[in-house]
Parts: sequence; C-alpha cells; structure tokens
Amino acid sequence: MSLKKQDDMDHNAWLKSQDLTAIETAFLTTLIWLDKRLRIVDYLELLETMYYRANLQMPKSHTEQYDLDNKFWYWYPLYSLGSLSIIAYLLAAVSGAMLGFYYAPSTAGAAAQGDPTAAYDSMVMIMQDVQFGFMLRSIHRWAAQFMVAAVFLHMLRVYFTGAYKEPREVNWILGVVLIALTLLFGFSGYVLPWKQLSFWAAQIGVELALATPIVGEWAAQLLFGGFTLGQATLVRMYILHVFVLPFVVTALIAIHVGIVWVQGIAEPH
Amino acid sequence: MTDETTPMTDGGTDEEARTDGGPPATVPPDDETPTWSERKERSQGLAQLTYQYFERSRREDEDLRAESTYVERDVLGFPTWPHETIRNLAITSFFLGIILLVASILPSHFGDPANPGSTPAIILPDWYLYWSFGLLKLSPINPELAVLGGNIIVSNELYGLIAHGAIFGVITLVPFLNKGNARRPVEEPGWAALGVTGVILAITLAALAIQNFFPVPLELLFSLTFMLPIAGGVITYAVLKTMREGYMYDLNRRYYMLRPPK
Ligand code: HEM
Repeated sequence: MSLKKQDDMDHNAWLKSQDLTAIETAFLTTLIWLDKRLRIVDYLELLETMYYRANLQMPKSHTEQYDLDNKFWYWYPLYSLGSLSIIAYLLAAVSGAMLGFYYAPSTAGAAAQGDPTAAYDSMVMIMQDVQFGFMLRSIHRWAAQFMVAAVFLHMLRVYFTGAYKEPREVNWILGVVLIALTLLFGFSGYVLPWKQLSFWAAQIGVELALATPIVGEWAAQLLFGGFTLGQATLVRMYILHVFVLPFVVTALIAIHVGIVWVQGIAEPH
Repeated sequence: MTDETTPMTDGGTDEEARTDGGPPATVPPDDETPTWSERKERSQGLAQLTYQYFERSRREDEDLRAESTYVERDVLGFPTWPHETIRNLAITSFFLGIILLVASILPSHFGDPANPGSTPAIILPDWYLYWSFGLLKLSPINPELAVLGGNIIVSNELYGLIAHGAIFGVITLVPFLNKGNARRPVEEPGWAALGVTGVILAITLAALAIQNFFPVPLELLFSLTFMLPIAGGVITYAVLKTMREGYMYDLNRRYYMLRPPK
C-alpha cells in the first residue's frame, strides 16, 4: 500500500482528458486551484439557490398587470436620477481624494490681513503647478454641482410620482437627511480654499448659529470652532468635509438604496 | 461562580494561563448556551413582546399569501447581461462624459484670499444654496409687534433659521399628510400644485438672494418672490383639473378592459 496521498477526484486527469482550448484550460486550472483552497463551489451553490429562489416565479408587477409599460418607460429617465446622484458622488469622492494629496487646511502664512494663507496657496499650487491640477479641481467642483442638481431633481421625481407614500416614508425622511447633508457637504467644501467668499460664507454660518436660541453658542463652537473665524474653523470644516460627511453620507446612501432594494421601486398607477 | 479548583471543560485550569486577577479564563460549555426556543421562553418584557409580534406578523404574512390572487409569471425580464449592463454603462458614461466636458470648458473661478477686514460687496454661496440665502433676506416680512413699540420679536437671522426649519419640517411631513395610493399628479391636483409652488418658490428665493444683479426694483422682486409661486400653483391646479377628466377616462378604460367589473 502506498503512503502517497490519493486524490478522490483527480481533477487534473479529467482536465487532460477533455479537449479544451488554451483559454478554457487556463480558466479551469485557475478555478480548480482556487476552489481547492477557498471552496468557491459552496458559495456558487448558495448564489445559485438564491438566484432561483428570487427569479423563478415572480408576482406580475403592477406595470405588467395593467399594461402601463408605455407610461413607465416614457418616464424612465427620471428614475435614474438617484443613480446619477451616486455616480456624481463617486466621481467627487475620487477627485476629492486626489485633491487631498495637495491641499493643506491651514490659515498660517498670512503676514497681514488679506494675504494668502497656506490653504489658499495650496489651492493656487494645485491649479498652477500640479499636472492636471486645474482640471482636477474643476472636475471636483462640477461633480459636486451635478450631484446636488441630481439630488434635487430626484427628490422632485419622488414627490411628483407620489413615491414617498406608505411604505416608503422612512426612505423619504432619510432622503431629507441626505439632501441636508449633501448641502452641508457643499457648504463645508466651499469654505476650504479660504478665499474671500469662503470666509464670508462661513461668517454668515457663524452668525446664523449664534442667532439660534439656547444651543446657538454651543453649535457655533462645535461647527466653527469658536465665534470668530480662524484656523479652528478651517480644520473643523476640513474634518467635516473629508472625514465625517463621507462616512455618514456613504452609509446613509447604502441604507437608502438597501431600502429601495427591499421595498422595490414604487410603480406608477 | 467558578470554583478555582474544579477542572474546567477545556481540560483544567492552567495556573499560568490565567488572566490578571479574575477567575480562570474559560469558555462556557456548549450545553449551557440557551437554544433559540429556550431564549424565547425565558424572555420577558420587551423581548417577549418582540417575539410575539414576529410570530403574529409571520402568520399574517402566510395567511395573506395563501389567499392572495396575485398572478404569478415565469422568469421573463430584461436580462442583466448584456442588456441591463450595457444600458447602465451607457447612462453612466454619458453622465460622466457630460461632467468632464463641462468641467473642461467651464473651469471654476477662483477669487481673492480671505480678508476678515473687508466685507465684499456681494457675498454668495454656490447656486444650490441661493434659496437658503434668499430665506435670510426675508427681514421685510419679519413681523413687528405693536406691544413692543414696533420692535421685532425675533432677530432677522433667527427668522431666517425658522423659515428653514419650517420648510424642512413641511417636507418631512409630506408622507404623513398625503396618504392613499395615487401616483399621478392628475389624480391629486392640489398636491401637484403645492409641489410646483415649492419649486417656483425655490427659484424666486434664489433670485431674491442675488437681488443685486437683478434689474428689478427690490420691492417688486420681493412681491414677485411670493406672487409667482402662488400663480404657478394656481395655474397648475387649473390645468390638471381640466386635463383630469380625459386622463382618468383613459386610465379607467384601460383598467376596466383588464379587469371587467363583475
Ligand atoms: C444623496 C442623495 C440621494 C441618493 C444617492 C439617492 C439614491 C436613490 C436611488 C438610487 C433610488 C432608487 C430609485 C431612483 O433612482 O429613482 C432612490 C429612491 C428613493 N429616494 Fe433617494 N437618493 C437621494 C436623496 C433622496 C432625497 C433628497 C429624497 C426625498 C426627500 C429621496 C427619497 C427617495 C425615495 C422615497 C425613494 C423610493 C422611490 C421609489 O420607490 O420609487 N432620496 N434614491
């Protein structure tokens, strides 16, 4: 009796006995190699089961039942606005991450009032010295604007097709939170270059926060790092823009789309 | 709880393998882990209520499914590959292409560095916040109280903030105010009119925010800010009401062709 380990299933011999093209052989070899280590087959089986459970029999949809296809497809472009928001969001995230390599959130370096600060200089550097920097900034800004526009229009589509009604109230409320956060995204990004308009937009923000009864001063401290604008404000806006909001908004979008997945798109009547 | 001298199920306690101070680090044996039904029986209060509700709702689901008249159909859809994938790729690349095109032909403007000492003549955010900025310019309609000698009760800033709160509040409440299963604007002309009013108000408020650039006297602009949305709403209502009969006739005809009345 040999001590050599025996393969119950000699996949390689089977492979040789087949008449396969080079591509097929390479594919199967890789698949077998991975499957021996990772048991891919199990997962494929699971996926397959799920696929058939979900797809074999489906209730006839409202659109099919009442033959509303023509109306539905006519309005279809409006139903892609949510996805377009996500695409613009992703583009802004990628270009933003690249801008982040060069941007410096600092108000240092201004000898006198009105002199360029480090943040401002880093923006100038991005636009003038970095390869494709001008384009990069332009892409980031436009991606942000397209996202806001898509979100606004998406909300109107949901409103005018009555898609917010039971059982989709939660998604509507999530949407309201998302649009507010999207606008906050835009606002915090607007402050970062620390140009005149950035500064004075933030100034209006502080004044508004301070005008709020009871929580006003606390809110001004929390969001703007004090009652007058400076380094603390810039860093807070920066952290909000590149750390807090990306995580929160991404998570909320995932939940939002997850709920749409579970509930299905509201069909027109 | 644990007797220090009793051997543990994992083969006794090794003196050296102890955690600081506490009892020996052992895993509870498997048969002590409560099973699902045990947990359910042991649970009380809120947890028990949750279990009870779940059971009820599952039963309700089953009943509903049993008596449902839903028409089942075989798999018959738009194939994910290649149709759906190609369509999505087309939409995505078209959209990305437009963004890149616009970004390259309209590069962003860059202004002067911040100067805390000199307020610019015109302070503006990006266009999508103009409506919000417009709300901060509502001071002319901030009510004055005669009892206070014509003083305003809330500062103009707070007044603007309250306006924001009111708008977000109303929007949040929409699903709780408008119920039923109507989906088309013609079915609910009132709500459609409200929507149009809101959209036009957002635009006129944006115009109010950039009033310095507007070749219209401020007083007129201010009136228009509120008159135009209302006019838009009224027109929408009238148009939809007029369209409604023909539209509903069409819908009903299709509906009754598919589901003849018994
Ligand atoms: C970051 C912003 C947002 C993203 C990325 C997003 C994404 C999406 C996507 C992909 C869908 C699937 C259907 C479609 O695309 O039309 C959807 C549906 C929906 N969204 Fe949004 N959305 C956002 C903001 C909003 C806002 C502001 C609202 C309303 C206040 C909203 C309310 C809804 C509702 C109620 C649905 C379900 C519609 C239906 O079932 O027909 N969303 N969202």
